[in-house]
Amino acid sequence: MSEVAAGAVAPGTVVRAARATVVDYNDDVVKKFIIAAVFWGIVAFLVGVYLATELSWPQFNLGLSFTNFGRLRPVHTSAGIFAFGGSALFGTSFYVVQRTCRARLFGGAALANFVFWGYQFFIVMAALSYVMGFSQGQEYAEPEWHLDLLLTVVWVAYAVIFIGTLMKREEPHIYVANWFYLAFILTVAVLHIGNNIALPVSVFSAKSYQAASGVQNAMIQWWYGHNAVGFFLTAGFLGMMYYFIPKAANRPVYSYRLSIVHFWSLIFLYIWAGPHHLHWTALPDWTQTLGMAFSIMLWMPSWGGMINGIMTLSGAWDKLRTDPGLRFSVTAVGFYGMATFEGPVMSIRDVNALSHYTDWGIGHVHSGTLGWVSFITFGALYYLVPVLWKRSGLYSARLASWHFWIATLGIVFYITSMWVAGIMQGLMWRAYDAFGFLQYSFAESVVAVHPYYVIRMSGGVLFLTGALIMVYNLIQTVRSPATAPHAATPLPAGLAVAGE
Amino acid sequence: MDIEASDLIVGLLMTALGLIGLILASGAHDDEMYVFGLSMAAWAVVFVFGLMRRHFDRADAAHATLRARGGRHE
Amino acid sequence: MQFRHDVIEKNAFLFLVLTLITVAIGGLVEVVPLFTIETTVEHVQGVRPFSPLEQRGRDIYVREGCYLCHSQMIRALRDEVERYGHYSIAAESMYDHPFQWGSKRIGPDLARVGGKYSSEWHYAHLINAQSVVPESLMPHYAFLAETPLDTSDLQARLRTLRAVGVPYTDDEIANALADLNAQANPNADPAALLKRYPKAVTVPGNGQAVTEMDALVAYLQVLGTMVDFADPANEHLQQ
Repeated sequence: MSEVAAGAVAPGTVVRAARATVVDYNDDVVKKFIIAAVFWGIVAFLVGVYLATELSWPQFNLGLSFTNFGRLRPVHTSAGIFAFGGSALFGTSFYVVQRTCRARLFGGAALANFVFWGYQFFIVMAALSYVMGFSQGQEYAEPEWHLDLLLTVVWVAYAVIFIGTLMKREEPHIYVANWFYLAFILTVAVLHIGNNIALPVSVFSAKSYQAASGVQNAMIQWWYGHNAVGFFLTAGFLGMMYYFIPKAANRPVYSYRLSIVHFWSLIFLYIWAGPHHLHWTALPDWTQTLGMAFSIMLWMPSWGGMINGIMTLSGAWDKLRTDPGLRFSVTAVGFYGMATFEGPVMSIRDVNALSHYTDWGIGHVHSGTLGWVSFITFGALYYLVPVLWKRSGLYSARLASWHFWIATLGIVFYITSMWVAGIMQGLMWRAYDAFGFLQYSFAESVVAVHPYYVIRMSGGVLFLTGALIMVYNLIQTVRSPATAPHAATPLPAGLAVAGE
Repeated sequence: MDIEASDLIVGLLMTALGLIGLILASGAHDDEMYVFGLSMAAWAVVFVFGLMRRHFDRADAAHATLRARGGRHE
Repeated sequence: MQFRHDVIEKNAFLFLVLTLITVAIGGLVEVVPLFTIETTVEHVQGVRPFSPLEQRGRDIYVREGCYLCHSQMIRALRDEVERYGHYSIAAESMYDHPFQWGSKRIGPDLARVGGKYSSEWHYAHLINAQSVVPESLMPHYAFLAETPLDTSDLQARLRTLRAVGVPYTDDEIANALADLNAQANPNADPAALLKRYPKAVTVPGNGQAVTEMDALVAYLQVLGTMVDFADPANEHLQQ
């Protein structure tokens, strides 16, 4: 078969057809996480739009302690990354690991429910703590020590379930999606513990002080922060990509060899990239240089993943016209390629001298979070909801299409406005007049970016609108009449490595 | 009563978390610790209730299946 | 190569161990030497632990998320040094638990804001930023002026900071509340305070209770003032 020749299937692998025996998968916990992901997505996008409104018109801060930008921003970032992204990762990883291992989740229903409710409890408590005025003051690691401990317990349970399921697998090969999910789970655990070493003032006090300070704290924070992006928002979602794109396209993954090379190089190189958040600061030169060099090298395995994802459509490109969920997934990979080119460029010290502290960074973040993370999740949701609720398809492919175009337009507004704002800020801050004095006051740069902040807000409104269309579509799908249980379609030989 | 290992372990874990929550809330120095402690205790209670409910629901369903098949009564 | 990867792919435990090893390397190489290489944190005169009032102000700065809009890190770039002052050196944030270098400037950098504005300006600005800077996007923090500062765990906080490496002396911890009150009272004798915390700025206060606003302003007024860059002893700052 051509897939074997292309290296998609390891020589000697027994190629199995779909089995007659049906495993009793735990889909209950998957459904819960899918619903949670959709809910938190809307929350995250809504808070994001509100923040954008506050930055456009500061009156919207309302003068209250619990609605101002400083307290609400972590609500948005936590909701987007951990609540929305995290729930999507938990749900899809539980779905994928069971199906590709042909085994029910390890640990029983109780442990799975503990992970679900424990994670939701953590999310709600964290958001509440921020608006009540408690924060560790480090980006994406704001929850205080007691919440960090709770999350650790939940995360260990998650790892036990995922790894336990791998260990009881019926399929000898661990499918590539699970490599990425596993790397995500393990590395996030290490990062979380490493960056949250803090001493509480007392066991009865939510306030704690970090063990590290100054430059060491800065390096540890960005070792963590960049790899929250690299492992939470990238490796985990690549796991999603490696299952849902081949499934939706009904094609094998483009290249098994490429997946090996890019997996190991990605997880090795990503860790080093942290210092690019600290260029020109008091971090030593040698560390900055290492961070820059590895960030640039990181472009290669990232694009390896992009190529593998997109070229999986080989022979099935016309599905992009007919399957709007798949369109989301493939476009997501395109944005992933874009963001993983922009990132290395911004990691170059001389580019960073202009871009650091500006809105260009915000634009870059959102091309990744909206374009890659959200879109690949939407693609997975559009695939999974009909399957999980045993419907023959989505309530409306047309609505999903509308979602796609409105959301894409929203992203374009967002990132282009932030590119313009960011580069403008960078140039204004470094501009000298004819006499050799700084030309612009800081306040003048704030005024200059106002129109772009409004455009960015409109982009966010469009993105939110698209997501609301999706919510309607998914609810209607679930409420539509049940059809025959989703028949297992026989897979092409190359996908048999994945099992099922 | 045949309790599944999973239910037992998770039930004990949740009980511990519930007690920890109460202890933290009892001595809480700030609002956050108070709210967190009480909420965790409440979640633990509800969760353990849920574990017990599911246990008995499963037992009842198994019992009903046995009876439907004309099997022995317990 | 394919055959060997087969081996890893069929052994979950091996895969796990190899993954952990792979992801551990970068972090160790970049983090550990920052603790062991002596020149990472420069040996300079002047850097001292925050006074009790300043530290409480810093705790408020951290919890309100001020670092999300304001950086505290002047980069070694010409225009930046001209706008904000001497570029920030690692020693200046050595007692900052957590560091607050920031990632974004929606408002200006604050690394050397100490002494640039009067305390009265800071009060006005924090209560209603637009009243002193019409273009500002900053929220209003009037609620800080209306909230009395909770000092019940003041010594516990300083002791915890000492446990993580900030060299508070027993004398400083014993006098914490007295120093805090002195720093918020213009009529008090600042001699003891200044002996323990040189360059500590006394804030006007409201004549009644010490508020969270007082603490925050005291913190802002010390930022960037500890190291005297004009002092030749500090010229030799190498990394």
